[in-house]
Amino acid sequence: MARLKLSSIVVLALFGYISASCGGGDDDELTEIPVDDSISLEDDFFESMDEDYHLPSPLQVASIFKKSGLDFNSDAPSKTELAGDFTDELKQMLNFGVYSADMAYCVLNEQANTGRKYLTVITDLAGKIGMEAVFENEDLMKRFDANMENKDSIEILMIDIHERTENYMEENDMQHTSAIHFAGAWTEGMYLGVYDYEHNPGKEGVGAQLTEQMAILGNIIKGLKDPRNSGTDLGWVISSLENIESTFNGFASVNSFYEDESADELVLKNEEIDKLGVLIKELRTKMITA
Amino acid sequence: MKRTLTVFAVFSVCAIFAQYVAENLTEFKENIAAQKEEAKDALDPYRFDGSKVTYFNYKTYRQTKEVEIYLFNDTDYRFSFNGKSLPNDITVQIYDKDKTMADRVMLKEFNGLQGKNLVIESTELNKAYAAKKNETIRLKRVFVDYVIPATPGASNKTPTMKDRGAITLVMGYK
Repeated sequence: MARLKLSSIVVLALFGYISASCGGGDDDELTEIPVDDSISLEDDFFESMDEDYHLPSPLQVASIFKKSGLDFNSDAPSKTELAGDFTDELKQMLNFGVYSADMAYCVLNEQANTGRKYLTVITDLAGKIGMEAVFENEDLMKRFDANMENKDSIEILMIDIHERTENYMEENDMQHTSAIHFAGAWTEGMYLGVYDYEHNPGKEGVGAQLTEQMAILGNIIKGLKDPRNSGTDLGWVISSLENIESTFNGFASVNSFYEDESADELVLKNEEIDKLGVLIKELRTKMITA
Repeated sequence: MKRTLTVFAVFSVCAIFAQYVAENLTEFKENIAAQKEEAKDALDPYRFDGSKVTYFNYKTYRQTKEVEIYLFNDTDYRFSFNGKSLPNDITVQIYDKDKTMADRVMLKEFNGLQGKNLVIESTELNKAYAAKKNETIRLKRVFVDYVIPATPGASNKTPTMKDRGAITLVMGYK
């Protein structure tokens, strides 16, 4: 008897769902369908973290550095020839970020030919880290070539790539790995700033920008520590970035800035920027070494 | 035979239900993608820098979701909020500090985002900050709080489609 009742309920339920799926239900019925616990992935999708953050794109960071007076130094960006040497996924992801920062640096400094080389290696690395779809279905290289002389168009192309990357990562639940790309891009951006600061002394704007970029480091580290990144051997990246952060927080200039509520800009002493530069260069060397 | 039929019926219900939920999710995601485009269009002439979609479920208690955004020197920003995936309205508040700080300053508050795309610029926030602090210190970051009101009758543990909401925030700079 009990079995018969169960069968009847199941059949009735089946009929109800078939009716709804065939368009027989109205909007109220549609909204009353409960979310089953078995689709836990979708539950996560519909509940963002209570505290979240937005990190600036490599193009924005490069643009800010340029506005602060950063010059183009052709020896500074990472060599594209190294790209083929990165065989482990972590290095590929980090250098996807490194080369993205380099491409932005070249494009904003009207070095389109060099920028094109970076687009080639970025496309290649994207294929290796499961993001080939970002660069498929549209001949980005042709578009790049057609606009070589037009800096604005190349910048728009870079923005398109950034947007497509962002959308792809969201659609494929890969946002946690964006912190790894960003760690590479941030380190390279800082390295380019340090390089200019050391080779063209007296640039207060660049020094101030290096300081300003330190603000986002905490959230990069937080992103790297996302439990979904636990399968990636990020220990050395996190410890290096934490060392940079704690060194920076220990600077006398930083402490006096936070003690003075009316202080507007944090200005580091030259020796403090030098100390920061050493740590940035060490980390960048580790990142770009296969 | 009866047992086979029962198993088949249960399996069919699960399969149809899963397909039904998947179709709703696909539609929801497609809507978000379209809303992101709309929000992006409202950035012009600012350059797109990225987006942040905040998903939530209305619950029987008030919730706050917070997004931290950096503002760099000599750069102006535009924030484009799209509320077309909000079944009920929420309140948006923008602060200079995060929600753990008792001394934070509210720079902007607005309602009426449901069904609309609204735009805010950093110049407005800097002016509000200067007026409230009586200083000309520039904001270096802002915290956008989405205050989601308590919704009587919401299912906290097993949210339904009508309990779901999302806000798309697109950032631009120049």
